[in-house]
Amino acid sequence: MKKKEVRVMTCIICPVGCRTRVTIEDGKITEIEGLECPRGEEYVRRELEAPVRDFFTTVRIKGAAIPVLPVRSTQPIPKDKILDCVLELANVVVDAPVEAGEIIVRNPLGLEVDIIATRDLDRVKER
Amino acid sequence: MVKREIDIAVIGGGAAGLAAAIKAKEKGIENVVILERNEELGGILPQCIHTGFGLRYFKENLTGPGYISRFIKKAEDLQIESKLDTMVLEITSDKKIIAVNSVDGMLELRAKAIVLAMGCRERTRGALGIAGTRPAGILTAGTAQRLMDIEGYMPGAKVVILGSGDVGLIMARRFVMEGAKVEAVVEILPYASGLSRNVVQCLEDFNIPLLLEHTVTSVHGIDRVEAVTVAKVDADWKPIQKTERTIECDTLILSVGLIPENELSQTAGIVLDPATGGPVVNEHMETSVQGVFGCGNVVHVYDLVDQVTQAGELAGESAARYVLNELPPLRKKIALKAGDNVKSVAPQIISGQEPVILHLRVKKPMRNVKVKMGNLSIPKRVVRPPEMVVINLTEKALEKLEKRDELEVSVEEENGP
Repeated sequence: MKKKEVRVMTCIICPVGCRTRVTIEDGKITEIEGLECPRGEEYVRRELEAPVRDFFTTVRIKGAAIPVLPVRSTQPIPKDKILDCVLELANVVVDAPVEAGEIIVRNPLGLEVDIIATRDLDRVKER
Repeated sequence: MVKREIDIAVIGGGAAGLAAAIKAKEKGIENVVILERNEELGGILPQCIHTGFGLRYFKENLTGPGYISRFIKKAEDLQIESKLDTMVLEITSDKKIIAVNSVDGMLELRAKAIVLAMGCRERTRGALGIAGTRPAGILTAGTAQRLMDIEGYMPGAKVVILGSGDVGLIMARRFVMEGAKVEAVVEILPYASGLSRNVVQCLEDFNIPLLLEHTVTSVHGIDRVEAVTVAKVDADWKPIQKTERTIECDTLILSVGLIPENELSQTAGIVLDPATGGPVVNEHMETSVQGVFGCGNVVHVYDLVDQVTQAGELAGESAARYVLNELPPLRKKIALKAGDNVKSVAPQIISGQEPVILHLRVKKPMRNVKVKMGNLSIPKRVVRPPEMVVINLTEKALEKLEKRDELEVSVEEENGP
């Protein structure tokens, strides 16, 4: 017997926000309903086959005016790796100064992206 | 008291103020001073660590700190003076500014032009009148964001979010990423208030329930939030009896709207628009007081920082032209009024002689509509309250426009009258 599943999704490519019903049979998309343009179909296929997301969080920093440094991934990562990647970075502590763009963690979890700082943080004198 | 004469004072060093100051300096104005109450420039952007900034302005996908640092660096390169930790107390209609900081003490600046760029602040619990106790653990979304992403504190472990504005949605994701449980996002309207990309990527991605047509009716807990009561609401936003249920949580986050911050505009007697909460501005971003300009979220709350930057540049350029005596008053004034399904429109005054970009906020979602403005009719496929409607009035469109003293801007069904 075929395994059939219907997923309801919102396309986020443009403000129209088409609500779409996608029928998946045996892991393959067999029907997409409710989209108004071809860009939506591309989005739906990507979302169902290999969804990726920008990744960003903070890591601890010592010696700067604030205790956390914002960071991001150089490329989007698979959606289902976001929480694993956060945990991977949970114990990272860096020392100020840091410059935006500096690599903080190289290739975490073998995702083939680097985690880079997104702002400068100077070293401040201990108070 | 320190007294100084300057060319242009920019009040607020966020996205709008930085863009205005940079533009004014580039136009050849020597003495531009940014007055900023925070200890660093950048406004809200340094705490917006997520991506999605700059897609339009730079055609790049940047984080908040990444976006704003480009402007901070540019302002430094142009040697624009900025006074940090400086609180402006009063501005007058003859463009005198009283400010205070711990280095200069009291300051009196006399400016040839002023750019208002104070931004907006969040609505709080007091504005909503939620019943119940007053424990710790009730924060606005922006405060939670600052605590987590600048100051490194975790504000709670079990969270309910009231309101589905963009900052609330963004914080729902941040709480989950930092190990908290987000029990629900509660929204009184039948649709989310934030951008749909945020509903998908912040809530659906993490299986966070979005309770539409629901609200928080009571807060429980003495020292700390212990639970909230939520209920379904009817069409008049009244809670429906017997739909109440209690959700255990230690934190209630509010994302229930932003208010342009105009106490200073009022000290100068600037006319405000009740619909936007900001000053009435003309196509040059000039307020009702000559030589005082406004830009960014202090004028009306924008969706995207890219649009705020654009508005800041326009205000900065206008302020520079004013100082250089190159900004004649409008020869004709057409007052734009919000009509059917339009909550607000800005700028509120145009000449009808120069191309201008209008921003509308609609009251309810509609499909296949036309934006009507006097005899002009512009088709739009979809309008939604969370996404500002942008109308580009080109020279060609203006040629056709009947130039009356007052024009109503409305959004109507395509097949309507």
